[in-house]
Amino acid sequence: MSDADILASAPARQTANWRAQLPTLIRVYGIILTLVLLLAVVTIGNPAFISQQNVFNMASQWAPAGIMAVGMTFVILTGGFDLSVASAYSLCAVVAAYVGQNHAPSVSFAAAIAVGLVFGLANGILVAVVRINPFITTVGSGFIINGVALVLTQNAAFLVNNDDFGILGAGRWHGIPYSGMLLVIFLVFFGFVLARTIYGEAIYAVGGNYEASRLSGIRVRAVVASAYVLMGGCVGLAGCIAASQLSSAQANLDPGIIFDVLTIVVVGGTSLSGGSGAMWRTAVGLGIIATISNGFVLLDISPYYQSIIKGSIIVAALALDTGLTRLVRAK
Amino acid sequence: MSEQVIGSGTAAPRNIPIRKRDSNSTVAIRVRNVSKSFPGVQALRGINFELLSGEVHGLVGANGAGKSTFIRMLSGASVPDTGEIEVQGSPLLFDDPRLQSGAGIAAIYQELTIIPEMSVLSNAFLGKVPSRFFVTDKRRMERRFAELSEWMGLKIPPHANAGSLSVANQQMIEILRAVQTDQNVLIMDEPTAPLGPYERARLYELIGRLKESGVAIIFISHDLDEVLQLSDRVSVMREGLLVETRTAANWTKDTLVQAMLGDVQIVPGSKRTHASDQELLHVSNLALPGRVSGLSFGLHEGEILGIAGLVGAGRTEVLRCIAGAEPSAQGSMRFVGVDCPWPRTIREAIGRGIVLAPEDRKRQGLVLSRSSLSNLMLADLPAVAVGPVIDRSKTRERGTALARQLGFNPERLDAEALNLSGGNQQKLVLGKWLNRKPRILLLDEPTRGIDLGAKQEIFQAIRRLSDQGMGVILVSSDLEEVVEHSDRVLVMARGRQIDILDGHDATVERILNLIFAVESRASDAGVS
Repeated sequence: MSDADILASAPARQTANWRAQLPTLIRVYGIILTLVLLLAVVTIGNPAFISQQNVFNMASQWAPAGIMAVGMTFVILTGGFDLSVASAYSLCAVVAAYVGQNHAPSVSFAAAIAVGLVFGLANGILVAVVRINPFITTVGSGFIINGVALVLTQNAAFLVNNDDFGILGAGRWHGIPYSGMLLVIFLVFFGFVLARTIYGEAIYAVGGNYEASRLSGIRVRAVVASAYVLMGGCVGLAGCIAASQLSSAQANLDPGIIFDVLTIVVVGGTSLSGGSGAMWRTAVGLGIIATISNGFVLLDISPYYQSIIKGSIIVAALALDTGLTRLVRAK
Repeated sequence: MSEQVIGSGTAAPRNIPIRKRDSNSTVAIRVRNVSKSFPGVQALRGINFELLSGEVHGLVGANGAGKSTFIRMLSGASVPDTGEIEVQGSPLLFDDPRLQSGAGIAAIYQELTIIPEMSVLSNAFLGKVPSRFFVTDKRRMERRFAELSEWMGLKIPPHANAGSLSVANQQMIEILRAVQTDQNVLIMDEPTAPLGPYERARLYELIGRLKESGVAIIFISHDLDEVLQLSDRVSVMREGLLVETRTAANWTKDTLVQAMLGDVQIVPGSKRTHASDQELLHVSNLALPGRVSGLSFGLHEGEILGIAGLVGAGRTEVLRCIAGAEPSAQGSMRFVGVDCPWPRTIREAIGRGIVLAPEDRKRQGLVLSRSSLSNLMLADLPAVAVGPVIDRSKTRERGTALARQLGFNPERLDAEALNLSGGNQQKLVLGKWLNRKPRILLLDEPTRGIDLGAKQEIFQAIRRLSDQGMGVILVSSDLEEVVEHSDRVLVMARGRQIDILDGHDATVERILNLIFAVESRASDAGVS
């Protein structure tokens, strides 16, 4: 594009002042501004929101969705999608609770994570090797996984009478929940993997242009499949945390959690078409969704209005992003 | 396989499927003092321009000169900051490309806008479907398509999927779509870039016919010979200014280049008569079932081997086979004197040091959403990493060195590849491979749609590398370019090797004669 050339030429960049770059800045960092504004509004409305206890509670409460959003960020960056997470999350929680009834918690958690990884690998092979559309693959595998969970449980809840089983989800160290720590560790560690490693670069490249990556000698199928395996591992851990928090699990634990997971990633600004996004965006998206959900309870806003406001903020954030992208790239 | 691009086409058509206009040199478009700026840059500066009915008006300029901005403005896709545009005496209303076609302007853009999943017919009438009582009138579409096809000398099956056509035929459908709207003004931005010499000749004929019917045409191309041959007048743009308009007879290729570049000097390409004796690669009996067969040739250290042929002759396939991108390729390969199995995967070929810079840089070459720097490193990430972690300063160091080598502005390493000109994108594709220090570089249409300056820089870089011993195989539809830069030229037609010419024997004329001898024999034998 010839004009883009002019636009980005060196002297032009030097003369362009901050005013001209404002749309770009807002596009890149506007989502942080949204989070700050939301935090300010909720805090002013009810200062208890930023109390240490409330923040820790939120971290614990959002740990399962947040950890799954870490895996989903990888999957979406490769240009894929995983709709089976809600079912797999329930199944992993069920496995953890089932095994945890008679075995040590560590064994039960390892079993649950292993189940998550296996289903992740199955999704990965179907999408990357057999090359079925990820949407269809994961809707299908979601049904299968949900069915397996129902068969296993006969739709009854498994209860675990073992205090140690609850440590992962409900335990705390000086008031800081272990689950919240895990969430932060996941965000930071996998954020680093995405931003600074060969593997992260390959994830972006494969999602940005599959064919160009293949022709550049990247193992495209392995990279795509690995994202689903990672997703599976995250789902396994999230299931463990949920089972541990509740000391029980059932086949339809929280079918709606898929929407939270997807919304966290997408509101952060990671593109559904793959190849562009970042883990810090997922962290910010998590902050926004958690603030809306938790803050609005503190502000005594009726749950009915909460849905309307939540939806509006999500759509507005995406509309703003799209609009600014167009403005920035205006020809 | 061989979908005939264009029919014999010379027979005079009985019906002319477009209106005849008065071509008394009335002014079709008048542009007065139009300027346009984008944040931080003046893209167009006070353009004055006149397009007469029945005129072919060539528009040339380096990438970034403002041609695209200018024609986007004429076709209503962009609004000028100041100045006015009159079409047939009435001022142009902006904001909506659909209003523009009401104003009598149709445009063919550089990027193809074919929808691959739809039929040829649907694509040809996209946005302007003939209908009766809100129901599409398929029979009318078919009739009109047949008329136009005959008139344009096309033989494309109307019900085929547009995506299954060759790029050349897709381009012809784009042109048909613009022609069928029967507008007074037709803007063509690089219409010949994806076409081979044979298809080009058909397009030139079509332009002549449109002109006779009184259609005014703005013709943009980087091929100056073509511009001079086709145009009545030629305007040159440089840095947002319309530098000069003269009748074609008053321009020469040299004066045009001078006007386009301003003060920049041009160095002619250097050609070598003999490369080293060391054979890097020897291919025997290469075949890709149904596409190419019977190719045997060698490539020496430091040699540039050109492959010449028409679109569809199998040039791209040969490169893809050597690069390991065609698992069903057959043949034997000797690499640096050692017989080795034919590479079946890209990674296998890359492992030997054979790399391919593909034809379509946007779809196959670059990850557009990533920075230039990321793209440069893409093919050899482990080299800039410590274990699994990428070393950022090493990355930048390497990237800057590569950028300098290719004449790519290092300050733009952080720009998304999406926002770069074609020339700069091509430099990234090359840089990505040079980063791996390949033994053999396969170049498929490395200069398609890029400007003179960038072309020069690219060929200078390639020549420097081949001087250091790298072997290069060059495929280009621009025969002059192949002849100018190759040490030897392999001529292909219909999937077969016709001849290999030494550099000093290779001329465009000789190559075309070889090709058309085969083409006419094939059509005499009824193979089409």
